[in-house]
Formats: sequence, C-alpha cells, structure tokens
Amino acid sequence: MSAIAAAAGLVFDPYVITVVVASAVFGLFVGAIPGLTATMATALLVPITFFMPPVPALGAIVTASAMAIFAGDIPGAMLRMPGTPASAAYTDESYAMARKGQLELNLGVNLVFSVAGGLVGVLFLIVAAPLLAEAALNFSSFEYFWLACLGLSCATLITASGRTRAVLAMLIGLGIGCVGMDPVAGYPRFTFGSVDLMSGISFIPTMIGAFAVSELLRGALASHDTRALVQEKVGALFRGIGDVTRRYWRNFLRGSVVGTAIGALPGAGADIAAWVSYAMAKRFSKEPEKFGTGHIEGVVESTSSNNSALGGAWMPALVFGIPGDSITAIVIGVLYMKGMNPGPTVFLQNPQFIYAVFMIFILANLLMLPLGWAAIKGAGKLLRAPRNILLPVILLFCIVGSFAITNSPYGILVMLIFGIVGWLMEENGIPVAPLVLGIVLGELLEQSFLTSMMKADGDPTAFFTRPIAGTLGALTLLVWVVMAWRALAGTRKTAA
Amino acid sequence: MRLHDTVLGALLVVLAAAFFGYTFTFPDMPGQKYGPSLFPRLIALGIAACGIVIAIRGWRSGLPWISISSPLRRLQGWLALLAMPLAVVFYLLVAERLGFLPTAALIVGGLCFWNGVRWWWAALTGVVVAGLVQWFFGTLMRVPLPRGWFMQLIAGG
Repeated sequence: MSAIAAAAGLVFDPYVITVVVASAVFGLFVGAIPGLTATMATALLVPITFFMPPVPALGAIVTASAMAIFAGDIPGAMLRMPGTPASAAYTDESYAMARKGQLELNLGVNLVFSVAGGLVGVLFLIVAAPLLAEAALNFSSFEYFWLACLGLSCATLITASGRTRAVLAMLIGLGIGCVGMDPVAGYPRFTFGSVDLMSGISFIPTMIGAFAVSELLRGALASHDTRALVQEKVGALFRGIGDVTRRYWRNFLRGSVVGTAIGALPGAGADIAAWVSYAMAKRFSKEPEKFGTGHIEGVVESTSSNNSALGGAWMPALVFGIPGDSITAIVIGVLYMKGMNPGPTVFLQNPQFIYAVFMIFILANLLMLPLGWAAIKGAGKLLRAPRNILLPVILLFCIVGSFAITNSPYGILVMLIFGIVGWLMEENGIPVAPLVLGIVLGELLEQSFLTSMMKADGDPTAFFTRPIAGTLGALTLLVWVVMAWRALAGTRKTAA
Repeated sequence: MRLHDTVLGALLVVLAAAFFGYTFTFPDMPGQKYGPSLFPRLIALGIAACGIVIAIRGWRSGLPWISISSPLRRLQGWLALLAMPLAVVFYLLVAERLGFLPTAALIVGGLCFWNGVRWWWAALTGVVVAGLVQWFFGTLMRVPLPRGWFMQLIAGG
C-alpha cells in the first residue's frame, strides 16, 4: 500500500503533471499529422526524457503514444489519410462516414472508444503484470531463452508484409545486436577498432534514424495534400454515442480484449491489432455487407483495439524486458538508461515506479477526452500545419536528440545511417519493426543461450526439463511448425 | 527504389558471407564449445538462407532490376530525397567549427527555402528555431552543443 501512496506522490507533482500535459499536446499534434507516427513521437521524446527522472520520462512516453494513436483517426476521417499506421485499418470506413455527413459521430466514437479501449488495456496491464512478474521471479536462463525465441518468432509470424522478409529483418537486427562486446566472454565483435562501437551501436540514435529520419525521407517524396478537408467545422461530438454503445458494446469489449492480447504479443502493436479487430468485426457482424460503406461497427471495434494494444504492449516489456511493439522497444532502451533494468525484480525493488506508470496510463487516457475533443475542434488548423517548415524542424530535433544521447557526432552518424537503411528497407518491402526487436532481444537471446548451454554442459535436452521452460519451448516449436506449414502451403499455392 | 528480388537476395548472400567470414577473427573460449563466433555465424547462415529464398522466389517475377517510384523519376525527386541526408552531412562537417547556432539556422532555413517557403520567412524560421533549440537543449538540458567560432565570438572565449 505504501508503494501506491509513494507512486501517487510521484505522479501528482506539478512538474510531472506539466510534462504529461505537454506530452499529450505533442502526441496529439504528431499523431494528427499524416506521415508522422506514434513511434516517431516516442523516438523524438526520448532525448528530452533523457534528462528527466524516471517517472516523468516514462509518463511522457505513455501519454504521447496514447494520444498519437487516437489522433491518427482525425485525418483518417477528414482527409482519408491515416495519421499513424494504427488508423489505416478503418480510414476508408471513417472517410465514407464523413462523406455521408457523419463526421461528428465518427470522431466522437473514435475519441470515446479510444479512451475506453485504452482503459481496458491498462486494466489488464495492472492485473496481469504483477502476477506475471511473480511467476517470472523463478525464471532462469532457460525460460528467458525461450521467451526471447518466442518473442522473435511471434514478431515474424504476425506481420503485414511477407514472412521471409520479416525473418530477414529480425536476423539483420540480431546481427546489428552482435556489434560490441559479446555478452559472455566480453570480446569486442565487429567494432573495427572503434571505441564508440565497443558498447554496441547506440540504440536511441538507431531508433531516431529508423523511425523518424526514414519517415522524413518518405515524407519528402510523398504529397500530403491537406486542402481537401471533408468539412471545416466539426459540430457536437458526443451526440449518438449512447446509441452506438448500446448497439455495439460487444464490439468494444472484443476489440479491447483482442487488442490487449495482440499488444502483449512481442513485436505486434497497435496497427496489427486494428487490422485484426476490423476483420473480426466484419466476420462476426450481422450486417457485413455494410462494411466499407461508412458503417460504425468496425470503427468501434478497431479504434478500441489499437488503444488497448498500448497497455498490452507494456506487459512483456515491464515483466520480461521483451518489447510488445516498437514503442515499448524504445521504452526498454529508456528503462536501461534510467538504471531500471526491466524484469520481474523491478516489481520488487521499485514497485512505486511501476504503480506510477499505471497511474499515468489511466491519467493519460482520461486526459484524452478533453484534449482529444479540443484537437478535433481545432483539426482544421492542425491539419494545415505547414509541412514544408515542419519537416526541417523535426530533422533538427533528430540531429540534436541523437547528439544528446552520445554527446558526440557518432550518434548523428548512426542516426543518418539507420535513417537511410530504414528507408531502403521499407522501399524493398522489409519491415522495420522486427529489426528493432532483433536489436533489443539479441543480447538476451545470446546470453541466455550460452549461459544455459554452460549450465547444462552442452546437453540440449536441459532446455525442456524445467516445466515452464518446457512449455515455452513447446510453444515456440509450435509457432515454428505453423510458420513452416504456412510457408509450404504458400509455395504450393504459387506452384499450382 | 525497389531492387529486383534476385539482386536483393544476391546482395544479402554476399553480406552474410562477409559477416560469416569476419567471425573467423574471433578467439575461441577456452574450455568451451561455444564462443563469441557462434551467434554471428548462425545469424549469417539465416540471412543467407533468407537471401536465397528471396532470390529464387523473385526469379520469375519479371520486374526490372531496379524499380524507381514515380517521384524519383525526375531530378527534383532525387534532390528532395537527398536534401535532408545532405543537410545532416553538412552538420557533421561544419558544426564543430562553425558552432551549433549558425549551422542549425542554415540547415532549417535552407531546407525551408528549398521546400518553397519565402526566403525571409525561411531565414526567420531558421534563426528562431535554432535559437530555441540552443536555449532548450544547450542551456536548460546542458547538452554540450558545439560552440564553434560563432559562440567564441559572442561570448568572447
């Protein structure tokens, strides 16, 4: 109980509240501008949070990412351009509603169910994370090895692009993770004599490059014509929400639960959650023929889903140090920077930080209601923010942010290289998210494997003898079998 | 800019081979069967396998060796794409000598102007944004942004 009181003391502090509100405004802005994503918002925030105590630092990331995922719905409905990839699943549906004169109902539903879905995700996080952490206290290197394997496998199993390319991205990430001292013997690998590379390729500049600079490069080529707004003024937002809730509460519940679960799966985040939930809504709907014509049912389910995925993604991140999505991959980097190495012991040693994160999650979702309302009302101006000025300013933030982490031009160089690599990867259909997961999990995977092998004296059956390790191992193998089966089925289909 | 899958696959195999080859410079761990070279080698094999699968699947796709997206078919497209990486290279080359403030102002102002903002508005944006970033990161957050001769001139040393 004292930990909860301590957490409340940490959260309800004028400085923390100011940081949360400022990050909320920042998140809404970044999310609402097409081409700027929630992950980018997080990556850009990290250099600033670098100088903050842990609670405001994590609070800033939680708030900005939640707001950005919601705000992505606004240009989706008004311009038919998803503000973030998480809104892409139902952008056409939202736009069709707006064309039918139901813009207010659509945005109202997006706002209210984003808040509600987010709260369900947090609820699951609050209940499940401490239980998982208690179980995880008994984990040894065998369990962590399988968890890392399972995380990497899930990330490549659930992917929107081709599976081979997702596996490839993950392997490249693992390869990048090999740079620096090896985790067992401490031998410097692939450092080519550079002192900067001894501790590995700097993670945050890599993220800023892969998620922010590559987006800027794409933005420089894409045309985002924001003149064609459906309508200038947005009327009363909350009219009709009661009716929608009465009719579609099942969709809301299913969307939130499925979203949380997908968020908790390593590597799959809000965007995949939204696609899956939209498809499920259509599959189980009594009127599937209405989907695509401006029907609210799918929007309710998927907008609840993508916000609940955020809470879900924090579960494996806090408990095991395995990111649930690309945002929590960055969070794990931040936790290490703050000396709060993620894992079950954080729950024992620093429970007040964990409760503080939970509280900020709830606070951020509640704040979303008034601030999101204001963002929708001001959307006409927000969506006309001049991109030709915005992109250079973001680039300067990227440069300074990368420099601030390493205090040397090395960070900027890493950012530039990964910006170009990220852009080239996306151009060639190779997803960036598994790459990040590979970088984050590489060391854990290698360390747990080598330690386990030493403990077992080279006997591979030891990976299956402990009950939890055995179960996780069997699950991993099952995922591999499913992947192999799907790959074979796919080959046969193309051959036929 | 999309490479033909066979070219991409072949490049990946070459990359994997180089990665694999380099691991032979790593020492073995005394008394252990598994050393620092084990994981990089497994990863290299995996990358090579993916490369081969991608190359074989793409063989009959009938796509050109390099497909260039429509904005990049014109010189302006390339310039728009390269403007930002070149700005970063410019920063890396001159910031240390020139100092953060003028370099940042030149980058932001220059890119805004390049993006079609009127020159005086671009210049004003560059100076104001560079000043704000210097104040926030340099003064408040105490990031040691490069001072260069500009700050020496102003602060006198």
